[in-house]
Amino acid sequence: MAVGESQVDSGTDAAGEDEEVEARVGWRYTVARIRKDTTARWGLYVVAFVLFVAIYAAVDSNLSRLTFGQFSDYTFAKLLPIFDHPTRIPPPGEGTQHMPPYFPLAEQPWNPLPAGGTLEHPLGTDPSGRDYFTRIVYGTQVSVFVGIVSTTIGLAGGTIVGAVAGYYGGRVDDALMRLVETVYAIPPLILIIVFTVFVGGANIWYAVLGVGIAFVPVFARIIRSRVLSIREMDYIEAARASGVKDRDVILRHVVPNSFAPVLVYATLQIGVTILIVAGLSFLGYGAQPPTPDWGQMLNTAHGYMHSNVWLSIWPGLAIMITIMGFNLFGDGLQDALDPRIED
Amino acid sequence: MKLLKYALFRLLQAIPVLIGISIITFLLANLGPGDPVSLMLQGQEHDEELVRAIEQRYGLDKPLHERYVTYMAGLLQGDFGQSIYYQRPVSDLMMDRIGPTLLLVLSAYAFALVTAIPLGVVAANRRNEPTDHLSRIVALVGVSTPSFWIGIVLILIFAVKLGWLPSSGLVYPWRPPDAYRGIDGHLELFQQTIRHLLLPMIALGTLQMATIMRVERTQMIESLQGEYVKLARAYGVPERTILRKHAFQVAQLPIITIVGLNLSTALGGAVLTETVFNINGMGLLFVNAIQRNDYQLVMGVTIVLGTLFVIGVIITDISYAYVDPRVTYGESE
Repeated sequence: MAVGESQVDSGTDAAGEDEEVEARVGWRYTVARIRKDTTARWGLYVVAFVLFVAIYAAVDSNLSRLTFGQFSDYTFAKLLPIFDHPTRIPPPGEGTQHMPPYFPLAEQPWNPLPAGGTLEHPLGTDPSGRDYFTRIVYGTQVSVFVGIVSTTIGLAGGTIVGAVAGYYGGRVDDALMRLVETVYAIPPLILIIVFTVFVGGANIWYAVLGVGIAFVPVFARIIRSRVLSIREMDYIEAARASGVKDRDVILRHVVPNSFAPVLVYATLQIGVTILIVAGLSFLGYGAQPPTPDWGQMLNTAHGYMHSNVWLSIWPGLAIMITIMGFNLFGDGLQDALDPRIED
Repeated sequence: MKLLKYALFRLLQAIPVLIGISIITFLLANLGPGDPVSLMLQGQEHDEELVRAIEQRYGLDKPLHERYVTYMAGLLQGDFGQSIYYQRPVSDLMMDRIGPTLLLVLSAYAFALVTAIPLGVVAANRRNEPTDHLSRIVALVGVSTPSFWIGIVLILIFAVKLGWLPSSGLVYPWRPPDAYRGIDGHLELFQQTIRHLLLPMIALGTLQMATIMRVERTQMIESLQGEYVKLARAYGVPERTILRKHAFQVAQLPIITIVGLNLSTALGGAVLTETVFNINGMGLLFVNAIQRNDYQLVMGVTIVLGTLFVIGVIITDISYAYVDPRVTYGESE
């Protein structure tokens, strides 16, 4: 636990220092520090903005249709029942009636895409005539959702593996750590693609699961090293001596006390996950069309590099800003949660 | 002698991991619902007899564990099986493709190290000055931007807009110059290689540069606060010498580890970079193999890339032990 670490530099006036440390690791204190830390604050703004856009696009399609002009019926709602909303899916025909004429690729006149900058299509349209701005906005959902869910899967899996390995030690530890090392040795992107394609067939859910599994080793290692030090603490000894079951010791005492630094790491990991998923989608193994997804949009844009440069720019900027938000926030959180750092 | 022992120890340690990689890859490729035969016959008319003939030819009629043993026996002799799509030995295909990937990854690292280390040192030495802020912004953008998008933007600027550099392909320096049309002499071959390598190298190297620079900066700051630096200052050693010799050398140690561990992201990134720049390396081979359901080829590439990572980590561990006299050589000592 963080308190244990901070006692290293207490020394003088032990009682008063302890109280202060107590105050310094509290939730309210953390929030106060985040508000004071410029990096964390900006990170929080960006993350909040990205989350807002994702939820906004998911929940309020009527409002967004008013705000952004037409919406196509290509919604994430079809994929994700939890985002389903009665007003989401337009009746047949309605979603497409505002769309500009569709040019099949072969008959396309040179540079058929509106340049953008108009009120109706601020960023122009994609090669199929769908509003690019809307698709970028919708793409936020996939990235944020996949980033958070697969990081959570990795975190949960890593916590179980790491806690069990660290707590039991010996052979269990050896066996689990060899497995972790092995999974860690295969480059994540490669592992995820092989998993997605051979186990599930290109499908966003298998991609999410694959990304989660690929990051189990990272979390397992951190949790394990935390558990190794906590295992020796007196209160664990006490719990064990009073006959608490192993499972309860791990879940109630070991895991909660090793969690804080991992949570910071998880925030940073969301950024890495979004980065990987963007690459996965770019190769065609992430979200499948027609679901709008930034990586997949960049893939389509690749064929229009000479005629429509901006198609390749916007989704990349969106990816960059989103990841940057999570990275800034994670960095700031790290400083804020570390009780050793003085103001 | 101690170092040699340590090297052997690390190599032995790697064996279970290598076996593990082969098991995981084999299971993923063979346990999936898409069975290879129907994938091979996709869209074609086929009868039972043909299916059985194909199964027999690739040994798919045997139970899984038997197939794994056969596969492993082959692997130990350098036989990765036959590619279903290319109808060539997987090992031959990989031999052709591994050169460009290694060239790409190594040059990306060279780019990363050459830019990151000076920037990190300067940033640490001038903390909270404009240079430091700049380096932090570069690091943040670097870790937040997908390598393939950097590649796309570089192509848009330097190939499409300015027309200065080629946007795809690679010229291999190990081939004779007359293998390429319009290139004469080794000097021009070398120049062309650099020209083709420049953009993919930067695209793949930026993430590495950003992570290395972050570590370099933190390490230098820590190192400059070390007792030995204080002592050197007390003895009146000039600041330049302290920076160059004392602080700098100690700060480089963690960089070695980072370089090894980052190899995993670099190899993954190579898949994307090779796709964007159309470089015929292992990454593009992997993408093609996946698209064509060539599971033998997928297994081969995955195992080789995993092995490359393991070898990379071992090399960095050994060089760490070589450079840092404080390292104790494993628990066995």
